[in-house]
Amino acid sequence: MATVQVSEAEKVYILHGIRDDLRVDGRGCEDYRHMEVETDVVSNTDGSAKVTLGHTAVLVGIKAEIGKPRPLIPNEGYLEFFVDCSANATPEFEGRGGEELGTELSNILYKVFNNEHSLDLRSLCISPGEHCWVLYVDVLLLQCDGNLYDAISIAIKAALFNTKIPRVHISSDDEGGKEIELSDDPYDCMRVDVENVPCIVTLCKIGHRHVVDATLQEKACSVASLIISVTHKGVITCTRKVGRGSLDPESICEMTEAGRRVGKALHSPLIKLLQQEESLGKKRQKVGFLG
Amino acid sequence: MLKSKTFVKKTRSGGVLKVVREHYLRDDIWCGSETCAECKQDSTVLQRDACMESSLCPYPHYLVPDTNVVLHQIDVLEDPVIRNVIILQTVLQEVRHRSATVYKRLKDIAHEPGRHFYTFTNEHHRETFIEREPGESANDRNDRAIRVAVKWYSQHLKTPGSDPDGLKVVLLTNDQGNKQKAEENGLLVYKFEEYIKSLIANPELVDRLALSNDDKQEITSSKVLFPEHLPLSKIQAGIKSGSFLQGTFRTSRYNYLEATVFVQGKGEDSTEVLIQGLQNLNRAVHHDVVAVELLPDNQWVAPSAVVLEDDGAAKDDAVDGDEEEKVLEPSATQAARQATGKVVGIIKRSWRPFCGMLNVSEIKESTRHLFTPADRRIPRIRIETRQASTLAGQRIMVAIDGWPKHSRYPNGHFVRSLGVAGEKDTEQEVLLLEHDVPHQDFSQAVLSFLPKMPWVITPEDLAKRQDLRHLTVCSVDPPGCTDIDDALHCRELENGNLEVGVHIADVSHFIRPGNALDKEAANRGTTVYLCGKRIDMVPELLSSNLCSLRSNVERFAFSCIWEMNQKAEILKTRFTKSVINSKASLTYAEAQMRIDDTNKNDDITQSLRGLNKLAKILKRKRIANGALTLSSVEVRFHMDSETHDPIDLQTKELMETNSMVEEFMLLANISVAQKIYDEFPECALLRKHPAPPPSNYDILIKAAKSKDVTIHTDSAKALADSLDGAKVDGFQYFNTLLRILATRCMMQAVYFCSGMDSDFHHYGLASPIYTHFTSPIRRYADIIVHRLLAVAIGADSTYADLMDKHKQSALCNNLNYRHKMSQYAQRASVAFHTQLFFKARGILNEEGFVLFVRKNAIIVLIPKFGLEGTVFFTSKNKVSPNLVFDEEGPTLRVEQHTFHIFDRVKVTISLDDSNIQHQKIRMALIKPVIPGVSVPAPEAEPPAKKQKLDR
Repeated sequence: MATVQVSEAEKVYILHGIRDDLRVDGRGCEDYRHMEVETDVVSNTDGSAKVTLGHTAVLVGIKAEIGKPRPLIPNEGYLEFFVDCSANATPEFEGRGGEELGTELSNILYKVFNNEHSLDLRSLCISPGEHCWVLYVDVLLLQCDGNLYDAISIAIKAALFNTKIPRVHISSDDEGGKEIELSDDPYDCMRVDVENVPCIVTLCKIGHRHVVDATLQEKACSVASLIISVTHKGVITCTRKVGRGSLDPESICEMTEAGRRVGKALHSPLIKLLQQEESLGKKRQKVGFLG
Repeated sequence: MLKSKTFVKKTRSGGVLKVVREHYLRDDIWCGSETCAECKQDSTVLQRDACMESSLCPYPHYLVPDTNVVLHQIDVLEDPVIRNVIILQTVLQEVRHRSATVYKRLKDIAHEPGRHFYTFTNEHHRETFIEREPGESANDRNDRAIRVAVKWYSQHLKTPGSDPDGLKVVLLTNDQGNKQKAEENGLLVYKFEEYIKSLIANPELVDRLALSNDDKQEITSSKVLFPEHLPLSKIQAGIKSGSFLQGTFRTSRYNYLEATVFVQGKGEDSTEVLIQGLQNLNRAVHHDVVAVELLPDNQWVAPSAVVLEDDGAAKDDAVDGDEEEKVLEPSATQAARQATGKVVGIIKRSWRPFCGMLNVSEIKESTRHLFTPADRRIPRIRIETRQASTLAGQRIMVAIDGWPKHSRYPNGHFVRSLGVAGEKDTEQEVLLLEHDVPHQDFSQAVLSFLPKMPWVITPEDLAKRQDLRHLTVCSVDPPGCTDIDDALHCRELENGNLEVGVHIADVSHFIRPGNALDKEAANRGTTVYLCGKRIDMVPELLSSNLCSLRSNVERFAFSCIWEMNQKAEILKTRFTKSVINSKASLTYAEAQMRIDDTNKNDDITQSLRGLNKLAKILKRKRIANGALTLSSVEVRFHMDSETHDPIDLQTKELMETNSMVEEFMLLANISVAQKIYDEFPECALLRKHPAPPPSNYDILIKAAKSKDVTIHTDSAKALADSLDGAKVDGFQYFNTLLRILATRCMMQAVYFCSGMDSDFHHYGLASPIYTHFTSPIRRYADIIVHRLLAVAIGADSTYADLMDKHKQSALCNNLNYRHKMSQYAQRASVAFHTQLFFKARGILNEEGFVLFVRKNAIIVLIPKFGLEGTVFFTSKNKVSPNLVFDEEGPTLRVEQHTFHIFDRVKVTISLDDSNIQHQKIRMALIKPVIPGVSVPAPEAEPPAKKQKLDR
């Protein structure tokens, strides 16, 4: 993970600030930085979104492909994650430098998103045991300035919202052989229900308090953080501790509660924003990567 | 401006792929009109005064046809009357997608400057590009794109200064919905028929209109005559599951109610399914790809031996098909029964314009007439025309538009007239078209690859070639031959051996791979020789001049040089590119005279004698190996030098020198075949002649048995020997007849690519390997062989397609097809000239032999003319005599007389021109006399009917 060098004096300054609910950039402990979301940024994917959070920038593209359902769950489709830590984000990722982080991130993404509680995986099934849609979720880190999990999860939710899967139907002949037929109208497509898709909130324990959306400097002051995925109803679907340090049970409870509050509040403005963007349709001015 | 076009498609492996293409819109696409001052165009296509005299549009106007109009009415659009047409890119793309042939025709029109067809790339124009909207089908989008483009044009051309009677743009569509929407948008729109009918000066164009759906209904009665065709999806499912078979439909030449469907199986095994009766044929037309369903075993039948022609008057649809089918009595023998089926659907139509003639309807003023194609296998076609009286007696072309299930005949429309029937030029055109022989003049693109004249041999050329100009090379060909592709020499070496050279015109030096000239030659495949006309494979400059090995000029050659001992055993073989200077171009007769004339002892004669001596030895060896000598009667016409009418006809005479040249050509071909196969085992182009299946010989064995002669057919050698031994006292012609029959038993020799096949044997020549090397001027296969050989000896470089066995194989298929078609065309040409000959002669009495016996006819060969004809014993309006057919003989008993194969008969020959569509040679029996069947012999030769000729 990208790191910055922070001196002891700076650490103390940050620590004391947080103790007084005042962070270096002026935010409160439960405030996010400025966030920008844009969907449909990569035309040759089925759904895509770009999210910037402070200086952190991630791009998520989703490709839908027809595959075979997993043998144990024949009536569900599934998701595949791949996180590409490009050397664009930070020089440390050069070569195979980003591989470890990539794997770690994608493992968490599997845990959070690839289950029937967050996504209606049954709707991805085309014919049980034979064909289903596989959503390949590719995450590209463009810039790292802390709090990757939150940015990625929001980008994934936005990209899923944006995903348009071509509608297919199965025609079967007398022999029982099945043929997949594709609709000839490119507008005829299936949407993914993202209502229950959770967002991840990362809480960083700094001193005796915790903050959301920690910058790199703040992160350097923290020994451990807690990752919590929360749905729009405030249901926690997954928690995980990352970092070397330890957390006492009391603060875990506190952090979980704070995470739930923050996470729950995150969903409705996001969905509103996405719906607003979609309603603009073709008239929307695309910002893209140069905006 | 950039847009992206997105669509999803299914991949072959069953996946779904989203494809995104960038689509650029431009603002520099000009309208192409002369009147436009806005567009900064260099040259314009559309005229200012675009006047087509139409009662609907009295003002100058441009036409914009939609896709379906182009697809269905291309025949009308091709007419030079139609000018100033805007072809939208949307239309062009759709046409290309739907029909490659129509696309090509459209492109050809657009390239003609006189036609003023302008292609407007509306899909890339900033103001006319539209994106597909949600819920809109692809067709609707295209229709909208067309309307938007028309709208743009009409606004664009309406400059402020122009008067109200100025240029307008007219959309032509046959689609009701589209028309209505266009009218709502304030566009000028007409149905295509409406517009064409409004053209004042050109009423004949109306005939070429393809019938649209709503017209078809009124023509035919509502009675359903045929079962419905299954939709394609069902057919595909059926073929997959094996309940249907897919194959090519072939109507029988002799019986219009019978057809076979050739089903290509996996690998070698392919089957034929018999189809009988109108209902089962179910509107399939010769050469269509169809799906058939096999009938249950107990309904299988044997092919009928009856010759049946659909020559009745125009049958009403009301007449039941059953009546016609009564003639198809089931054949008695159970053994001959074969898989029988019925057509359930059409997979691909192969309708092309057909040549033929009009049967003018008996009702005056009727505009509906039947058209009879020249090809008997094509059903008659109902067309609508108002110029029937003009077209009667002309050869015309007609295209099929459709075949509704309640119509006895398909519906079609008139395409063009070829000229008066019976005239030589017309008939020649017909037979070239019918046999799919490309015979247009060579295009400029092709001619541009010819060498520049005057052509000289440069020192660089000489450096790469062996100089053989000092050798006494000469050529021996039929008289009047201008495309000489082979020359020979023979000289004694110091060691007592003989050096023999075969020099073949080096065509591949002039035709380089891949250019337009090469592609044209590859497509034509072969030069076609008709009576009195030659359709060249390569332009005349090459065929009759630069490549032709004429005497006393320096020419490039590809030489095959052997060193042989006096016993004609090959000691050394060498191939080289060379320069030769032929010392003499002889005819077979001239060469023969030189050999026989003991007074002559010049170099050329010596050389010829050496060749002749070796050739005899070679021939003896070859025959000892089991090569077959087959026979067919070939005739030559003596043409009147001015009228080009045949004035005499004689069977071809064979001389020693014919066989001398042939022998060395065979030797060269075999040597080359071996060489290229050794060098390129995967991609050598070879020629094989498969051994016929034993059953092919049945007729030959039966026929010989009737004369107590046994024929062994176990091997080529056995066959050759038994043919040699077959003699009947007092019947000299018997042996020739047997050989003619044997020829009919043979398989067709074919080109193939060595990497795609394992059987190389040439049955007829008894050679394990064979190819064609010696006639590159007139056969494309030889050019490929030349290229392979040139690469093998390092004289030329190779190229990718030459080494690609799949491409080679595709090429072979085309060459085989062209070769077959050219042979048919040749035969048809001979038949036509035979008819001309007999037309001038009136009625003749000739002696002939029975060649085949059919159920209701015998086929008679007249050796004097090499002519084959059918004597029918049944006819429509006469009581047929008592006929008993025995398939074992085969014999046919007519009243008291029994006909066998080889029987000597006497017939009258006359030209039957009662039916101008199919003029034919009519034969009637004179001897043996069978009361009620034979005709009295006409008094000697009546004077040639001069008056008839003049008429």
